[in-house]
Amino acid sequence: MYKTEVRGLLIEGGKNLGDVTTDVIRPLELKAAPWWKIALMITIIMCIWGVYSIYETVTVGIGTWGVNNTVGWGWAIINFVWWIGIGHAGTAFSIFLLILRQKWRTSINRAAEAMTVVAVMCAAIFPALHMGRIWNFYFIIPYPNTRGPLWVNYNSPLFWDFLAISAYLLISASFWYLGMIPDFATIRDKTTSRIKKAIYGFFSMGWVGSQKEWIRFESLAFILGGIAAVLVVSVHSIVSTDFAVSVEPGWHTTIFPPYFVVGAIFSGFAMVMTLMIIIRKLYHLEPYITNSHLNAIAKILIFISLIMGTAYLTEIFIAWYSGNEFEIFTFFHNRITGDFTMQFWAMFIFNALVPQLLWIKKIRKNLAALFIISIIINIGMWFERFNIVITSLSKDYLPANWAPYSPTVTEIGVYVGTIGIFALGVLLFFKYVPMIAMSEVKAVMKFNKTKQ
Amino acid sequence: MEKHPYIIGVYDDEEPLIKAAQAFKEKGVHVQEIFTPYPIHEIISIQGETSKLTVAAYIYGWIGALSILAFMYYTAVIDWPLNYGGKPVNSFPSFILVTLVFTIFFVTIMSLTTFVFRARLFPGKQVQIADPRATDDKFVMICSISGKDKNEIEDLFKQTGAIEVYEKEL
Repeated sequence: MYKTEVRGLLIEGGKNLGDVTTDVIRPLELKAAPWWKIALMITIIMCIWGVYSIYETVTVGIGTWGVNNTVGWGWAIINFVWWIGIGHAGTAFSIFLLILRQKWRTSINRAAEAMTVVAVMCAAIFPALHMGRIWNFYFIIPYPNTRGPLWVNYNSPLFWDFLAISAYLLISASFWYLGMIPDFATIRDKTTSRIKKAIYGFFSMGWVGSQKEWIRFESLAFILGGIAAVLVVSVHSIVSTDFAVSVEPGWHTTIFPPYFVVGAIFSGFAMVMTLMIIIRKLYHLEPYITNSHLNAIAKILIFISLIMGTAYLTEIFIAWYSGNEFEIFTFFHNRITGDFTMQFWAMFIFNALVPQLLWIKKIRKNLAALFIISIIINIGMWFERFNIVITSLSKDYLPANWAPYSPTVTEIGVYVGTIGIFALGVLLFFKYVPMIAMSEVKAVMKFNKTKQ
Repeated sequence: MEKHPYIIGVYDDEEPLIKAAQAFKEKGVHVQEIFTPYPIHEIISIQGETSKLTVAAYIYGWIGALSILAFMYYTAVIDWPLNYGGKPVNSFPSFILVTLVFTIFFVTIMSLTTFVFRARLFPGKQVQIADPRATDDKFVMICSISGKDKNEIEDLFKQTGAIEVYEKEL
């Protein structure tokens, strides 16, 4: 077999199989740390603000938002695309790295998948609220009814979106849960607490680790993984068609699907980096989430950042090369210069230029720098969606229709609320779920004897 | 449920376990079950375990794809044709997207259901655990001793490097 020393040890510190169980279960056995309780309080406050804003939106209507006839999509759609993007990390990690036979994914995939499930749930809130009458949500399901038109419009990207997000949520949640079954069984067999034994025993679905179970487990993981790989690419392509099938300047381009998919994986990986640094630091999981792991994520980020930069430049070039005055106006007078200059350059610098710092080995080894860069990327990705949604809508073909847009407190509240839900989900994950896929890490430990 | 006596052999690494599984097979001693903390493909193949779940998923894929295509064609073309901005009623390119995603949705639900029924795993299932260390760091092999020479099995366990051999009713 071809062996190189590109990567360090998968697990450091001379751990054996038993140590993996002890180390991963430890945070679940300990009492909650003070920082955890404080963080929980803050996230609950954010959630309360979010729930109140959602209540206001549902009871009063979309009029509580800053959107208008011209800028019909505001922060809600920006945040929707942003969250879905973040939600791409779990599947990208688990599936693509599984296909590429990257053993280092085993320490990270559990957290990435958890993040995916919570992020997709946060994302789903926005289009649902944007419907205005959320209680009529079921209108989007094709079933015989007396409303007329009898069936839904299959040409509508919004219908594709509904289907794609539902499928994505289902598949990522089941893939995540499936991976946890053997680990729940480990906790059931290891813990001394009777309550924990009962609860984890319930969720472990009677797993005993027999070979019959393992082969079926692996087959199912293979099936779900294989089809989820297709879904990762198609979900964000479909999200991009929400824009690309319209005729707005700056939206009606064929580059959108790949550009959105890559952007999603970019923000997802950045969020994984943020989370991994936090987990590693707070739970002392350095032997499992090694510098070599973070180094590998950083290298992927450089690569994706280059693709993002190329996509931005391609868009600008094509706008000029097409000779279309509306495209030229949008890109040159409404993004690079004009009212949204700050947002455009924030996007370009944060996503295409700042990650280039990761070429420097010293920065890749500096946790603080990695942490800051990963946060900057996610801010940059938010600005990217702002640029797409707001610049094109606020100034389209007819100057008489132009209108400004700024979010209201309610809109901001919903966004803060989803950040609260996400943080709450992550905190509960830290406390109640094994953060590292024990059975998968144990399976790759035999490869740990030599450097990968 | 009626209990039966078993001999349990505990190994602390996968290499002796693989050798043991091979030795048991060669001697013609039936191994009831092998419990491991992670999947070991050599053991799975020695045990002769196979799964047809992938074949089932493939069939589900075809069923899902064909039924959603038929459904869309029926609803949009035959049952209630509507003119959406002059687009053809049979707008096949749009149907492809929906077919792709729905097929994935359908395969996921059906495969999960098949897995749950076939592996008989469901939330809250009560199980008898041979050795609780099998989900932690040990590799456990169990043999039924009903109507067999107990000593021969015990010796075989010891010869193949089991760190512990004991009897238990399961």
